[in-house]
Amino acid sequence: MTTTVCGRCKSSGAVTDHQGRQDGAVVWTILRCPTCNFSWRDSEPARAIDPAARSVDFAVDADDLQRYPKILQQ
Amino acid sequence: MNDLPNRARSISSLRDFLELLEDSGQAITWSDPVMPEPGVRNIAVAASRDANGAPAIVFDNITGYPGKRLAVGVHGSWDNIALLLGRPKGTTIRELFFEIAGRWGDQEAQISFVPEAQAPVHECRLEQDINLYDVLPVYRINEYDGGFYIGKASVASRDPLDPDNFGKQNVGIYRLQIQGPDSFTLMTIPSHDMGRQIMAAEREGVPLKIAVMLGNHPGLAVFAATPIGYEESEYSYASAMMGAPIRLTKSGNGIDILADSEIVIEAELQLGERELEGPFGEFPGSYSGVRKAPIFKVTAVSHRRDPIFENIYIGRGWTEHDTLIGLHTSAPIYAQLRQSFPEVTAVNALYQHGLTGIISVKNRMAGFAKTVALRALSTPHGVMYLKNLIMVDADVDPFDLNQVMWALSTRTRADDIIVLPNMPAVPIDPSAVIPGKGHRLIIDATSYLPPDPVGEAHLVTPPTGDEIDALSKRIREMQLGALS
Repeated sequence: MTTTVCGRCKSSGAVTDHQGRQDGAVVWTILRCPTCNFSWRDSEPARAIDPAARSVDFAVDADDLQRYPKILQQ
Repeated sequence: MNDLPNRARSISSLRDFLELLEDSGQAITWSDPVMPEPGVRNIAVAASRDANGAPAIVFDNITGYPGKRLAVGVHGSWDNIALLLGRPKGTTIRELFFEIAGRWGDQEAQISFVPEAQAPVHECRLEQDINLYDVLPVYRINEYDGGFYIGKASVASRDPLDPDNFGKQNVGIYRLQIQGPDSFTLMTIPSHDMGRQIMAAEREGVPLKIAVMLGNHPGLAVFAATPIGYEESEYSYASAMMGAPIRLTKSGNGIDILADSEIVIEAELQLGERELEGPFGEFPGSYSGVRKAPIFKVTAVSHRRDPIFENIYIGRGWTEHDTLIGLHTSAPIYAQLRQSFPEVTAVNALYQHGLTGIISVKNRMAGFAKTVALRALSTPHGVMYLKNLIMVDADVDPFDLNQVMWALSTRTRADDIIVLPNMPAVPIDPSAVIPGKGHRLIIDATSYLPPDPVGEAHLVTPPTGDEIDALSKRIREMQLGALS
């Protein structure tokens, strides 16, 4: 668990899923938000992963996850 | 290369096909260092601008993924599709369409089974501590995708209620979003075979195991996306259409899979569970919404040594998705229509998986083309996808948009259209009234025939046919030759 803030729903508590290495050194880390399931690589351009730079059109409201429809209901 | 048909029939794996593409100048290796984002996307998009001649691109130096290989654009141009079908580069789309249409129902399937111990796909096997990110050099396909997607997976499954039935095995292409090291969500809709199987498994409380095949025989990637009947085997269909044998083996969880695929991920549905999925930049060129989708837990991974992860760029067209499925969306509609109406002469459903289709027909009588259009809407693909239909006469080539525009300009009355309101629609069509429901449009751009009182105009008849086609090609070759 990290204090890293999710670029999409602004929740904290992202988990680290993987680290990419090049010649033994970590070159990027893949993180995942347990609240909204957004996954990202910390080397991506800011407009995709930084909550301050990211388009609000693609934000997820962490306080209203019920709004997202469930597919394949009986 | 005059042995192209034989060479195409001898392809049994992605590797074979990449070799053929490379020999033909249709595959390149990108060995300069490239960041996963946005580097891979940028290169894939730049390549897909050339719908006729784009090469496949194999990346072997992606930063953070040393030693791993990624292929994109394998089906990304008509020239690549032509080589897959044993035809030379430069074959026209219309010729490719009739190549496929001519194979329909023509050949017997040749399926052979390889023992698991001898199947290349099982050369390396992971059953514990699985992390998909260790195996796959993934990258964000479009910048606002909700995560890292596997966009070109052929997913094999058995019918959970009839697991011993070979024909009821399903193979389909579904988008998968990686959800942590050993889980992924799968997006489907109730009308797709996988959607039916998930709902059946959850209704009856029975397990649903799947095998996700990556880096496959290039024929399967094409035909797994083709709408065929539920009880038809995609493997048999692909083999028959390729006129070539297909080698199967068993996955560790008991599903028939391709023996020569690069990677197979075995997984099990978590019954009744849903996780947030999306958005994903989809084939209409817009992002899907965020939804709660079924989630699968990975139980094992098999792969060849030094596997090639094959993925796709999909988004606002033209993209590999359009060349991958365009002709094989068109050909079944053509074959199904001709069962009722042999007057149908060609079907172009290349655009956005057939959201717009152009059908040429020998008009029997005034209004006949509209009858054919209504039949098209009831074909398996038409039920959900054929939103706009343009009906043209048989003297118009539906693959030549200049001719189609001529027909629209000279043979269409503004009131000679049909709008069918509130019909089924693919949920990701951004123009739908609400997701999953929208209007259909039929434009009758055929000429006037009795009993219509307006007769056909006296047409100019420029020369057409094989001789003119050959001259066009010669002019093009002379033009290319002048550059070299």
